[in-house]
Amino acid sequence: MSMLEVKDLHVSYGAINAVKGISFEVQQGETVALIGSNGAGKSTTLRTISGLEKAKSGSIIFQGQELTKLKPYQIVELGIAHVPEGRRVFSRMSVKENLLMGANIIKDRSKIKRDIERVYEIFPRLHERMNQQAGTLSGGEQQMLSLGRALMTSGSLLMLDEPSMGLAPILVEEIFNIIRRISEDGTSILLIEQNAFLALNTSSRAYVLETGNIIMQGKSSDLLADERIKEAYLGA
Amino acid sequence: MASFLQYLVYGLQLGSVYALLALGYTMVYGIVGMINTAHGDFLMIGALGTYFIAKLFDSVSIDGTYPMLAVGCIILIAMVMTGGIAVGVEAIAYRPLRNKPRMIALITAVGVSMFLTNFPRALPFIGPNPRPFPTLFTPKTFTVLGASITSTQIIMIILAAVTMLALDRLVAKTKMGAQMRAVSMDKDAASLMGINIDKVISITFFIGGALAAVSGICYASVYPQVEVYMGSWLGNMSFVSAVLGGIGDIRGAMLGGFILGIAQIFATAINSTFGYAVGFIILIVILLVKPAGIMGKVTIEKV
Repeated sequence: MSMLEVKDLHVSYGAINAVKGISFEVQQGETVALIGSNGAGKSTTLRTISGLEKAKSGSIIFQGQELTKLKPYQIVELGIAHVPEGRRVFSRMSVKENLLMGANIIKDRSKIKRDIERVYEIFPRLHERMNQQAGTLSGGEQQMLSLGRALMTSGSLLMLDEPSMGLAPILVEEIFNIIRRISEDGTSILLIEQNAFLALNTSSRAYVLETGNIIMQGKSSDLLADERIKEAYLGA
Repeated sequence: MASFLQYLVYGLQLGSVYALLALGYTMVYGIVGMINTAHGDFLMIGALGTYFIAKLFDSVSIDGTYPMLAVGCIILIAMVMTGGIAVGVEAIAYRPLRNKPRMIALITAVGVSMFLTNFPRALPFIGPNPRPFPTLFTPKTFTVLGASITSTQIIMIILAAVTMLALDRLVAKTKMGAQMRAVSMDKDAASLMGINIDKVISITFFIGGALAAVSGICYASVYPQVEVYMGSWLGNMSFVSAVLGGIGDIRGAMLGGFILGIAQIFATAINSTFGYAVGFIILIVILLVKPAGIMGKVTIEKV
């Protein structure tokens, strides 16, 4: 059974149809990538799964639950963690406060303590800067914080929106190593990336989006070797 | 000296009314990001409501004074009622427009203000006529350095200060406060943390409405006349207070309220018409000199 199943999803902003009937799924423990150029509808898809945008039609089923009628906070409680595009850290809160906001839905204090230790272990940089205001962190550190904050929600599905955006290559490498590690720990991942090479190398399966439609799908290794993908997205 | 002190006491008294009202104004702005021009009308609802609630307690009053317990009940009921109306206003009028441009919310707030003033005016049992406000506190007068200070004034000033401290701690230290700050910084990100933003905003409006009721009761205890129009001027002055202190900042609202109250009383002492103008003069000056307000910080954010 698939963990997340999106069926014939349509989303529009007024007269503009951003997502035009896409279907895809994420299996338990899998890392799936959605690749495609700017404006293909990738972010809109994630935002609709999280309930930040309303679906016009279609269904989103997560562990047997229909999500399209739920509010964002209810979807978080079901176990979907979303690292939004542009990091969106709480800039006038400290690093630690940001992480605690991630644990907002967790009642068990000892679990919060363990989780925060785990995040500090994954991102030693956040530990060093735990009392610093998040708005004063560098872009890479903010990305780590946004990722750490999402991990604090203890979701079983982690959705990542452009984690490489605006980062220096060495930091991109670091962030993606961590994403692989999180995946190895058993978390299912839905990854959005403009950098198709990176996305295909990190995921097991992938879907290619173009102007709101899925035009290709398959095993990431197959897509990496595909001539059309090479030409359109890998710059070969 | 004695008259200076006397004016200062009056100023602090008026300032505490502004401050209590400005706290709600500033919290709603800080968390929802809208200027709720109907906030002054919550004060009117609180004060006018208290008049009617006090009538229900008439049977326990002795010569027009109420026992302490009854006064407590009257104030509490007025606070809950006004807070409830504020929550209703937000749910009906503002929530559907939350993701629309700010100007739309502002225009709606002006409409809500007109409605809240004119609807009770049209109700036969309320109407436009001023009514005498019941005596909830029987003032005892003390003389300090030639200035006379009443117990009501002392209660008001302490009440405003304690409320501000409590709110400040609530926002800084509690989980609810952290959720409020998160919503104020980024509503989408707050949603993704599992925060129910509708609930946080409702609570904000409830607190704002309840404080407006207290502010109205304080005001009417000193100027004991209530009518449906009383909210607009006081609402404007509390807006000036909030901007003066740095809108969105709780301590700023408090400081702004007291500065404006004191300035207005001293200006009135010089010339009674000048007293009305001074609020707007302060608003213009602060917008020219330090638009972020006294406590307002220019935030630096890396993208």
